[in-house]
Amino acid sequence: MKTVDLCRYYRRGPSEVRAVDRVNIEIAKGEFLGLVGSSGSGKSTLLNLLAGLDSPTSGSIEVEGVSLTSFTRRELAAYRANKVGMIFQAFNLLPHRTARGNVELALYFNQTSPPERRRQAIEMLEQLGLGDRLDHHPADLSGGEQQRVAIARALVKNPEILFADEPTGNLDHDNSKQITDLLARLNRQGLTVIMVTHNRELARSYTNRLVRMHYGRVIEETTDPLIPGGDT
Amino acid sequence: MIWRDLLSISTGNLWRLKLRSFLTISGVVIAIAAFVAMLSFGAGNQQLITEQFNELGLFTTMQVYPPRDKDKADSVREAVLDDDALEVLSRVPGVDLVYPFNSFKVTAGLEDTTLEIEAQALPAAALETRLFSQLKAGSFFSHDSAHQVMVTEDITDTLGLSADSIIGRQIILSVQAASIDSGLAYILKGERERMEGRLKEIRFDSLIHDAYRRRVFYGEMNEAFKYFLEGYMNHRNLISDTFTVCGVLEKMSRRRRIQIRPVIIPAFAARHFSVSGFGDNPADLFNALKNGTFFVPSGDSISRSYPQVTLNLNPHVPYETVSDSVEALGFRTFSFAAQFKEISRFFFYFDMFLGIIGLIALITASLGIVNTMVMSIIERKREIGLLKSLGADERDIRILFLFESGVIGALGATTGIIFGWLITRLASLVARTIMVRQGLDEMELFALPGWLVLTAFLFGLTVSLIAGFYPASRAARVDPVEALRNE
Ligand SMILES: Nc1ncnc2c1ncn2[C@@H]1O[C@H](COP(=O)(O)OP(=O)(O)O)[C@@H](O)[C@H]1O
Ligand SMILES: [Mg+2]
Repeated sequence: MKTVDLCRYYRRGPSEVRAVDRVNIEIAKGEFLGLVGSSGSGKSTLLNLLAGLDSPTSGSIEVEGVSLTSFTRRELAAYRANKVGMIFQAFNLLPHRTARGNVELALYFNQTSPPERRRQAIEMLEQLGLGDRLDHHPADLSGGEQQRVAIARALVKNPEILFADEPTGNLDHDNSKQITDLLARLNRQGLTVIMVTHNRELARSYTNRLVRMHYGRVIEETTDPLIPGGDT
Repeated sequence: MIWRDLLSISTGNLWRLKLRSFLTISGVVIAIAAFVAMLSFGAGNQQLITEQFNELGLFTTMQVYPPRDKDKADSVREAVLDDDALEVLSRVPGVDLVYPFNSFKVTAGLEDTTLEIEAQALPAAALETRLFSQLKAGSFFSHDSAHQVMVTEDITDTLGLSADSIIGRQIILSVQAASIDSGLAYILKGERERMEGRLKEIRFDSLIHDAYRRRVFYGEMNEAFKYFLEGYMNHRNLISDTFTVCGVLEKMSRRRRIQIRPVIIPAFAARHFSVSGFGDNPADLFNALKNGTFFVPSGDSISRSYPQVTLNLNPHVPYETVSDSVEALGFRTFSFAAQFKEISRFFFYFDMFLGIIGLIALITASLGIVNTMVMSIIERKREIGLLKSLGADERDIRILFLFESGVIGALGATTGIIFGWLITRLASLVARTIMVRQGLDEMELFALPGWLVLTAFLFGLTVSLIAGFYPASRAARVDPVEALRNE
């Protein structure tokens, strides 16, 4: 996956906010990429563009040689349904659905039959150690458990790439570590992971590569996460 | 997304917000219940009238009347509803049976009781048509010259007899019939003295003058005719005959829109009365005088005209064809089939009117749906964004929301139809209780035909879907990036 002069501008009154400005990055299969930068530097915007949830103002994103910008809305939806998993800082679980119900929701849009959906959701939750939480509602789960349910939801459709937007932002230290451990484990099993984080320590110890954003631009890239980055 | 998911998601959402869903659906329920109840009344009345018309055979009868006076001026040949006309009418294609409405006053004697009553002559064949088929007891008369009569319940009620007990009894009918004989006899009565007096007044020498001669002649003629009429009208023969009561017909009710006299005599047997002279109708007399049939001695060829003739129609021939042919003969026609067309048109407008009231209620309810759905979108923005991130496209979201308003419509319409039906049952119960209390025939004023159920359901569903259209497309356009942003 790579981007070519990727731009996403917002118009705010007379001025223009360059949320993502001429970004050229390449992400290899199986990579664990860390995305750091100050608040408002365009990390989430870049992630949404890569996940096919937002459309660039200019520039392009290529996935396996095909440009996402050439996709129709339907194709883009199919790309999100089949190739991409997303997790968020706020978990975004539906409160009225059980853990299993939330995970199953990810299979509504890729022609999986209801019994198969159920089986896969249970299997996924069990893999993530939530076998005894299947019928719990999000409100009855801890933050770490909720994020794990969200990860199960992102992974149940077996995506090629996982986008995590500050997945530990709402978690305490131990839970953060657990979740990041889990992502690293999944990465070792072959999943490409792109994680936005504020936590430099986590970013350094887990990711293969760190990209730093500043005012919409990628200002630093390093293949050695141990090289100190700027302030956060 | 598959139908089952759509259904489970939308019903799940409605279930979660029970109170709001209940209120929104209630709007549809009230509108559809009102729609069903109102149209059910229209449908019930229409059905009632159709049933009655069918039951009485009114769709297959036509009444024929002589032309009105003002119409006569235009027509070349004056049309008279006499026996010749009956003959012509019976040959009109599509006419199965012709019988005149032939009523006259009779004195009926049954044991010690005497009644002044109206009688009517009818052919036996006419009694077998549905128009007269409400037989209460006994049977129809066997043939047209049988010495049998049928009576209506008016007679049994007046006499205080039961319908069964009057069967087989003897009834003496008598008619005061004027005759030519009594008229002629009166001209000659006391002729001698009158002649002498009148002869003295004539100046014979002046008879050579045309004008005088003509005056005397007309004077004498007038005088003679005056005496003839006096005799004819006031000195009638009493004709009596004995009949056996063979059957009782149901009382003439308001439902029966056809004239039936309390006593019905077979057509040929009745001739015995009319052959002897003319009835009370002076028009008959003058018609006969004008047509030159007055002094024809043979009873059978006495030409009398009828005020009304009934045609029994072949149900497979359109009534318009028959009425056109009959009107071409110079007569006026009246048929319930034609009348029914008018009634149907009236009911069409009536139903339209009620339907529009229902529609207005439904539009009001649909505003409730729009409101609920728009609120729901604002609340569920994050959910919509999430579904999009999971691979839902705009179409999926639109269908999901349309489905939700469709479920509101379907639930509301179904419940509304049930409620509407319950309302009509209640109203019907009240109406029938009142009818019975007022001594009227009990009638079912409401009907819920299949088309009404289907129309009401589709109406509720369609209006709800239309109401869901704007919210659904608004939901489809929710920006997932904005919806999922941390705030
Ligand atoms: N819908 C929008 N309209 C206007 N400006 C926006 C919009 N979304 C994001 N931005 C702006 O784009 C910039 C990048 O935002 P974001 O990608 O969320 O930053 P980060 O995730 O790095 O904190 C910010 O300045 C933000 O205010
Ligand atoms: Mg962000």
